[in-house]
Amino acid sequence: MTSPSDPAGGLNGNGLAGRYYGRGIPYLPIDGYPGKLIAIEGTDGVGRSTQIQLLREWLEVKGYGVIETGWTRSPLMQPTIELAKSSNTLNKLTFVLLYATDFADRLEKEIIPALKAGFVVLSDRYIFTALARAGVRGVDRQWLRNVYGFAIAPHLVFYLNVDVKTLIGRVLESRGMDFWESGMDLKLGDEIYDSFRAYQVKLLREYQSMADEFNFRVVDARRPIDRIQDELRRQVAAFLEPAERPSEPALIR
Amino acid sequence: MTFSLLHATDFADRLLYKIVPPLKAGMIVLADRYAYTAFARDATRGVDRQWVRELYSFAVRPDLALYFRVPIDVSVDRLLARRMKLKFYEAGMDLGWSTNPVESFRMFQGKVLDEYDQLVDEFGLEVVDAKGSITEQQRYVRTLVAQHVRMSRMETVDDEPV
Repeated sequence: MTSPSDPAGGLNGNGLAGRYYGRGIPYLPIDGYPGKLIAIEGTDGVGRSTQIQLLREWLEVKGYGVIETGWTRSPLMQPTIELAKSSNTLNKLTFVLLYATDFADRLEKEIIPALKAGFVVLSDRYIFTALARAGVRGVDRQWLRNVYGFAIAPHLVFYLNVDVKTLIGRVLESRGMDFWESGMDLKLGDEIYDSFRAYQVKLLREYQSMADEFNFRVVDARRPIDRIQDELRRQVAAFLEPAERPSEPALIR
Repeated sequence: MTFSLLHATDFADRLLYKIVPPLKAGMIVLADRYAYTAFARDATRGVDRQWVRELYSFAVRPDLALYFRVPIDVSVDRLLARRMKLKFYEAGMDLGWSTNPVESFRMFQGKVLDEYDQLVDEFGLEVVDAKGSITEQQRYVRTLVAQHVRMSRMETVDDEPV
């Protein structure tokens, strides 16, 4: 478990940060937008939303404008996705494309306008969740990366890393195992516990394999909430403060 | 982008439920519009051309793709004669090029036709002159289809003993 702290470069060794990964959206040029995109990734039940809530409060106290965006939360697609999940007609391809549509809607309507206006955008999950879920289901990896070529590379990607044993404990203590989070559609096991375990092991492996490709900052999520939050704040501060000084000096006391 | 991806989702659903199974069963599938419509329409809306092609790379390549080419004036006249009102997206009204639906339709569909013309060579579409009469068009289409389908073989299928 490594935590690369590289406060030096604004792009943190990620030359693409703040730009489109691939072919992008030709009618929406985003170069030079002042906002920052921070993605918090990690599997189901790892504690993303708790961390994002704490991060948001801290950033707002410091004077940043913050918006949150989360997977399948687009007004356009949320009802459709819920309906499709419950109707048993989804296959892996339509699954991927529905998620991509949801993401495109939030990108155009929420993320890009917020970046233009100088907000810090906290994304609860990002395209890596889609890549991991589809990868586990055997969808062609290169095709997935092409499809998501319209996504913006975040300035920071935090990956909350956890082992499957810790994860199982947490999920059972909180809300229990759900059909999709257990990958029951993959028929990995008859019983939800076996399926959850087998599915999450595959998912975690898939996330791990993307760490280098997408410059994940891996955060050990087995620790207490406060410790994780401290590490996130330290890294976010190191990234935002030097970048913020020239453009908004009023924020620095 | 959402327009493009929603259509791709719909297409994927129809491909997997309505197109692939009959093809596996050896049947003939007639598709009214195919991925080429998306290539022309999405590019006109400003979506990256190569991205749309990559998006649809899961599609089955048709054995025969017919493109019914018609000048924009004929297209407008036919649509107006039949239903008097042009559809919002069909006229590209979402692009805000003109508040007049007919004007907007001409501008938008004119660009769509330009895109189709590029597709003809790229994907080897068979062009059918759609200005002609229905009978003329149908006769031409039948000669094209006959090159791909052996009619004699088709007819014997029904005679198979159960």
